[in-house]
Amino acid sequence: MLGIKKVSAITMDNDYGQATMDGFLEAAPKYGIEVINKYSYSLKDRQFGSIVASVKRDNPDGIYATGYFFTGGPLVSQLRAAGIKAPIIGSQAFDSEKFIEIAGPAAEGTYIVDSFDRNRKDEALQHFFTEFQKRAGYAPEGVAAVTYSAVKLMADGIKRAGSTDPVKVRDALAATKNFTMLEGNLNGFNSLHEIIMPISVNAIKDGKFQAAAQITDLDAFAPPEK
Amino acid sequence: MYYIDLAVTGVSVGCMYAMMAVGLTLVYGLLRILHVAHAAVFALGAYVTVVVANATGSVGAGFLAAIFITPLFGMAIYRMLYEPLLSYRPDVPMIASVGLLVLMQDAFRIVFGEQGVTFRNNTYGFTTFDVFGVTVNAVQIAIVVSAVVIFLGLHLFTTRTRIGVGWRATVSQPKIAASFGIDSIKVRYLNFAIGSALAAVAGGLVALLNNLVDPVIGYVVSYKALAIIVLGGLGSVRGTLIASLVLGLVESYGTIFIGRWLDRDAIAFLALIALLMIRPQGFVGTRTA
Repeated sequence: MLGIKKVSAITMDNDYGQATMDGFLEAAPKYGIEVINKYSYSLKDRQFGSIVASVKRDNPDGIYATGYFFTGGPLVSQLRAAGIKAPIIGSQAFDSEKFIEIAGPAAEGTYIVDSFDRNRKDEALQHFFTEFQKRAGYAPEGVAAVTYSAVKLMADGIKRAGSTDPVKVRDALAATKNFTMLEGNLNGFNSLHEIIMPISVNAIKDGKFQAAAQITDLDAFAPPEK
Repeated sequence: MYYIDLAVTGVSVGCMYAMMAVGLTLVYGLLRILHVAHAAVFALGAYVTVVVANATGSVGAGFLAAIFITPLFGMAIYRMLYEPLLSYRPDVPMIASVGLLVLMQDAFRIVFGEQGVTFRNNTYGFTTFDVFGVTVNAVQIAIVVSAVVIFLGLHLFTTRTRIGVGWRATVSQPKIAASFGIDSIKVRYLNFAIGSALAAVAGGLVALLNNLVDPVIGYVVSYKALAIIVLGGLGSVRGTLIASLVLGLVESYGTIFIGRWLDRDAIAFLALIALLMIRPQGFVGTRTA
């Protein structure tokens, strides 16, 4: 979609950051994407001077980064401050209003994979949004929506199991088919109980999250089976 | 250009470390206390800067407020935490200091929220200059300029003024200084006030650069500053300056050349271990044993 061929990859050094990056590195060659260089940083890092200088030298078509909003925010603003214009694609945990606040104007145009489409015309989603904003005083981020859906799914599993017996609830959850989540339709789970569902991509436009795409090619981000 | 970019990063980070670490080394030189809670002073400086800047709309007012408030906090730490514990073994005040740091981190979390605070209007953090293809951020320049001005000022103060000379005398020969009528208690307050103000400036500048102040902002610099003051030879300001710059540069280049195998934050400690094996007295310290 973006015509990206050469990518610099920046990983946050924890399980989430590495697992997400491993998935990307595995899938990249299938789509003709070459990873020119890989960098990593720690959860506590807010200063990315050396990585930024190296990405500048790489001169990639695109940058893929994993991290949280509090690392992603400073990272994106420092990349842009160094005059790097290539599109930046961030992982799910960039999805927070705080990300836009931290990176300010530099956040513009950043893509966030596995985010959720905030404007989708869905009553449950819009209700969740208004209520969350009202009670918390700030807009929900991706993780809040996922957690909400997870609790709903758990309740649904208990209902289908017809009991609170852990074994029965577990089997009911594993057998889930087409459950409606706030983010969209959950197709089901694979043999390792990893989630299978289409994911949305957001882009930041005018300081707001805007739906940019829906990835329905499930093979592109198929979770590991073993 | 690539290597110059890395040098710019290294020097600016090194200057930030220096402003943070010098307060630590001064306290050690005077009281033989490892002032771990200095990181909380740094964080307080960052919070005061961002909160006052957002309230008044002026980043300058934020820095001024931080420079006035954090010395009071630093002196209070001495008066209320260290002074009552001075007669104990040096690890006792150090443990109290660690306790204060943990307490302050959670206090920041409770008061300012765990998501952190950003500047409402941070033009400096987003302003960059392109100098012959090398990109320099306005805040990076401010960090280097502040460090140079502060350390020149500190040098003049400790060599050209009576108070400054008394301060130095107390640090190196406390008993003789006292017999010359220098009030060592006043020197201690002065020490905490100046060290804290420097940490506050560093904290405020880092806040601008990251455009984010969160409860753990002092965390990384705190343990690196400990490594720096040991590298610099405990209690030596000149050694701390050198060690700060060296560490900033080593980290900057090291992230690229050895970053594949080693976390950047580990570099400080690897350097520390290596140096302690070769030169246990630090870069400029003299061997006493």
